[in-house]
Amino acid sequence: MVDAFALAVAHGLLVLAAIRLVMRDDLDDDHPKPRGPLGGRRAGKNPGQDERP
Amino acid sequence: MIDLCLTGFLCFYLALGSRRPFLWVLAYLYVDIVAPQIISWGILTRIPTSLIFFTAAFLGWLLFDDKRDARFTGRQFLLFLLLIYCGYTTLTADWPVEAAEKWSWVWKALVFAIFLPLTLRTRLRIEAVILVMVLSASAIIIDGGIKTLGGGGGYGELRFFVDNNTGLYEGSIISCVAIAIIPLILWLAKHGTVFPPDWRVWAFAAGLIFACALIPVGTQARTGLICLGILCVLYLRTAKRRVLIVSLMAAAAMIAIPFLPASYTKRMGTIENNQSDQSASTRIAVWKWTLGYVRDHPFGGGFEAYMSNTLRFETVHTVTTGSTTTVERQVIQDGGRAFHSSYFEMLGEQGFPGFGLWLTLQLSGIVQMELLRRRWRKRTGTDEQWQAPLAVSLQLAHVIYMFGSLFVGIAFQPFVLMLIGVQCGLWSYLKRTDTRVSVKIAQRRAATVQGMAQTT
Repeated sequence: MVDAFALAVAHGLLVLAAIRLVMRDDLDDDHPKPRGPLGGRRAGKNPGQDERP
Repeated sequence: MIDLCLTGFLCFYLALGSRRPFLWVLAYLYVDIVAPQIISWGILTRIPTSLIFFTAAFLGWLLFDDKRDARFTGRQFLLFLLLIYCGYTTLTADWPVEAAEKWSWVWKALVFAIFLPLTLRTRLRIEAVILVMVLSASAIIIDGGIKTLGGGGGYGELRFFVDNNTGLYEGSIISCVAIAIIPLILWLAKHGTVFPPDWRVWAFAAGLIFACALIPVGTQARTGLICLGILCVLYLRTAKRRVLIVSLMAAAAMIAIPFLPASYTKRMGTIENNQSDQSASTRIAVWKWTLGYVRDHPFGGGFEAYMSNTLRFETVHTVTTGSTTTVERQVIQDGGRAFHSSYFEMLGEQGFPGFGLWLTLQLSGIVQMELLRRRWRKRTGTDEQWQAPLAVSLQLAHVIYMFGSLFVGIAFQPFVLMLIGVQCGLWSYLKRTDTRVSVKIAQRRAATVQGMAQTT
């Protein structure tokens, strides 16, 4: 029972973390380009923001 | 049921990784820390889980990741040299079969520690790695914490999921690691962006820190108590409200001591009176043997060289009855006892060159984190507040490991090598993204070019 609880808490949070990470553009780029209306990346740069730090 | 859930969990990470390959790196961290193949009894025990995720993590980076920001730091080079040297000592080991067995996991841990910093290109990735390391270890720590509260502890008796004594499932190792991650838990609670700070995050962090502090009680590992004491002292060095923190620590200790089991206080008493304890006496005898061994074998005896030792030592028991004190001496003969210290493990197994490389790797991490702390602590920008606290947390975790490893043979513990990987990644990332450093370099370059133009 204790084993199942400990596993459930840790793995539940790991699943939630994975979902949140996948949805974040800054996982792969600190300054991601803004998404287009259909969810795709725009070709241009974000106004007032350098492409790379 | 647990078996199905663990398999489903790994499949979930494998599937998400097809969208963001970095998740395979995180999945490998999880597999290496929790070792679900040990807990499971179904399909996971029959497939090479670790190898699958290691390959996925490496190929994911090689084929899909942006490598423009990947840098090879000096400490990764030290890890590489250590890897080569350990490979050499394995070939010339005193106990070739046993050495090959240890080498089979050591090389993977070292290669992954070299590889990990190459993937840490963004702030979120650094945070994600720390988060997954903490949450993975939390599975074992929460389990141990609850069982300790329920009275299920005891030296060598606290059972985490399965009856296994490898990796983080060993009492002294999990005690050291549980205390070492406390600063990282605090950093995640304060500066995390995956789970931004709110009452739920703080409640979980407080519960997890409490469980971490219970692990040394549950395992009755003296290493854990020493680590906890050192953490308290070190934390005060950089803390802002020291008087409040000291008062809270003293109050927590006063409340906790009456609830500690008698077996625990008795065992902790042997830290001071180690002559009566066979485990402590064996360690001292092994360490003396190692010093003699390394004088004759300066290049080390390869992994598991301790198997050559034969020990003879005395334990002293003092029994007081009324006004009479009796001293009982017992001569014990033993052999093939493990090093019980990472420093002596490195000396005996890898000789002076390996020990030098390993120690340089450890000390340079502490120095680098101190440099980062000093560079970032006075910055006031909104995006410049997480760097110094993270450097301090990683430094504290490392110092605790170095004290804990005085009494436990965990020189190549994968969890600690992952921490070193994160330190290398943070060092490289901040060097690359720090605009002040970039401006200074640009100014220096401009001055050099100007000087050259004037001379010509």
